[in-house]
Amino acid sequence: MPELTGTGTPQTPQSAPAARGARIVGFLCDWAVASDGLVRDDGTMRDLPGVTLIKIPCSGFTRPAWLEFALRNGAEGVFVCGCPLGDCFNRYGNNLIGDRIEQLRRRLERQRINPERIGAIFYRRDAQEEFVSAVRAFAEKVAGLPGPVLPPARPPAAPRGAAPAKPAEAPAPEQEGT
Amino acid sequence: MYKRALGRLLDATLRLDTVVGRVYPDDFNPLYYTGGLANLFLTILVLSGIFLFFYYVPSFNDAYASVQFLTVNVPYGQIIRGIHRYAADGFIIVILLHFFRNWFTERFRFSRDEPWISGMMLLAFAGFIGVTGYILVWDQRSEALVAMTGNAASHVPLVGGWLRDALFGGAGLTDLLLPRILFLHVGPAVALYVFLWWHYTRIRAPKVWPPAVWTLFALGFILLLTGLVPVTSQPAASALQPPTGFAVDWLFLSPYWALRVLPPLVLVALGVVLVAYGLYIPYQLPETRAELGIKDSGVAQVLDANCTGCELCYYDCPYNAIVMVPSPNPGVTKAAQARKLRAVVLESRCVECGICVGACPFEALELPGYLQVDIQKKVLSACQS
Amino acid sequence: MSDRASAYTMWIVLLSALSFVCVLGMVWGELMNHHHVTAALIGVVLLAYSFILLLLRKGGFTGV
Repeated sequence: MPELTGTGTPQTPQSAPAARGARIVGFLCDWAVASDGLVRDDGTMRDLPGVTLIKIPCSGFTRPAWLEFALRNGAEGVFVCGCPLGDCFNRYGNNLIGDRIEQLRRRLERQRINPERIGAIFYRRDAQEEFVSAVRAFAEKVAGLPGPVLPPARPPAAPRGAAPAKPAEAPAPEQEGT
Repeated sequence: MYKRALGRLLDATLRLDTVVGRVYPDDFNPLYYTGGLANLFLTILVLSGIFLFFYYVPSFNDAYASVQFLTVNVPYGQIIRGIHRYAADGFIIVILLHFFRNWFTERFRFSRDEPWISGMMLLAFAGFIGVTGYILVWDQRSEALVAMTGNAASHVPLVGGWLRDALFGGAGLTDLLLPRILFLHVGPAVALYVFLWWHYTRIRAPKVWPPAVWTLFALGFILLLTGLVPVTSQPAASALQPPTGFAVDWLFLSPYWALRVLPPLVLVALGVVLVAYGLYIPYQLPETRAELGIKDSGVAQVLDANCTGCELCYYDCPYNAIVMVPSPNPGVTKAAQARKLRAVVLESRCVECGICVGACPFEALELPGYLQVDIQKKVLSACQS
Repeated sequence: MSDRASAYTMWIVLLSALSFVCVLGMVWGELMNHHHVTAALIGVVLLAYSFILLLLRKGGFTGV
């Protein structure tokens, strides 16, 4: 089971059971593609058991912090699905989440988390097949991404004025050359 | 039964979106800009109308002649007249597109009823303005329209006679008629902008123009029609020769065609019923989200302790449902200490979409049905399974 | 240039050529005082422009 605290124990995608595929959390809004028939009772997708869908009132409701929260707590990929751009039921919620996700991707890239792990897709109510194909393609892409989701944890800086030779507490990073 | 019909109409709308979307990318899709298209046509109408207004004389003897003078003797007069005529048809077509699309996608739910009500009034006024426009020309069609409208109006119980006199300035054809019709053409056109103010007031950053591709297309189509089918008047109205039939512009004059088969009172009653039903549409289906199969979100709540007055929610709310008010006292968190403003949600405008929640960097907004702790729990259980 | 882009380019060039011919027609129309011809040709040019813009986007030459 992956560590939920994210202290940097490296995980490779191969550690996930091959049958389940990459662990993905998706936020799906009420007015975009209809989820009837696509999800089981526990929220996982019928065709893609590694993907869990969380229903929200509008794609613009998503806080970028929740997407980062998912990645830092075991998800290998996250995505938001809203209405087609230009046709948001709430006028421009999908445009807003698109902008916020772009900004989130840049910020996480600076923190050395692969921005490809965050997706934004837009499908109308009756586009169920296209939605499932897009999520499947996203899951496969995420499964093929190199390295652990999170970069290794940096040891905390030693407090000023303390003896400089005190060894750091956190384990040294185990992978080489990534 | 209505729900099922509406469901099928929504499916048809989405299929049309898909078909058009194969040719036009999403930011060029005209079906996402039906309101902007209507505003474009209105602007064309107002500009061409001002030109026509300079030449029109509202009197029995001179009206027809002034229109003829404009058409024949003024350079490009017939072109401008044609632009006005065809833009009017285009205006009604795109308004109807806007009306049907917003009806079938139910964009009037949960506090979005005011744009709908003001929109119904815009539609009614637009139709009325078109009819008065046909009367201004004062050809045989105009005379027939006045006769039929006066007849229908006088059949309204109790106020019929007064209504006809108010519309036309008297029972028969008097000198007051054309000036009054001119007022009833230009005045309601100005009133359209008042209704548009009401239409926009609960909407932030409304899409008032279509994409350039469609501005070019609309102008091009109007000008092509103007050149191919130049606009002319029917034969002049004359007291000696009562009007018989006339060419019907289906977009504005179909009620008059219906007067062939329907008695006037029935037509008036039908009109009243249609407009009343149109105003009732937002309230026809129950408002509860549960019946739509959607979780109840609850109105957005500001957590005053955290609000820093940064205004991000204010700028992002699509319905102008958040206002910033002065905050004499600071918030509780450190970031909220220096605030001058704090956010307040206007509950009557909130459609519970949560876009403000996504905008807030300080965790100062929540939807009661979708609390952050619950979302995080769901994410954790998804990651742990 | 990819095949799709080149197909779009052909149509863009065709529409531009058509617009140019229409402009010549407009000049003729104005000289002859056939204003309805000019109006119709302006209409054709604007319609052609609207499709040129669409094709530029679809061919990948402009846009997001």
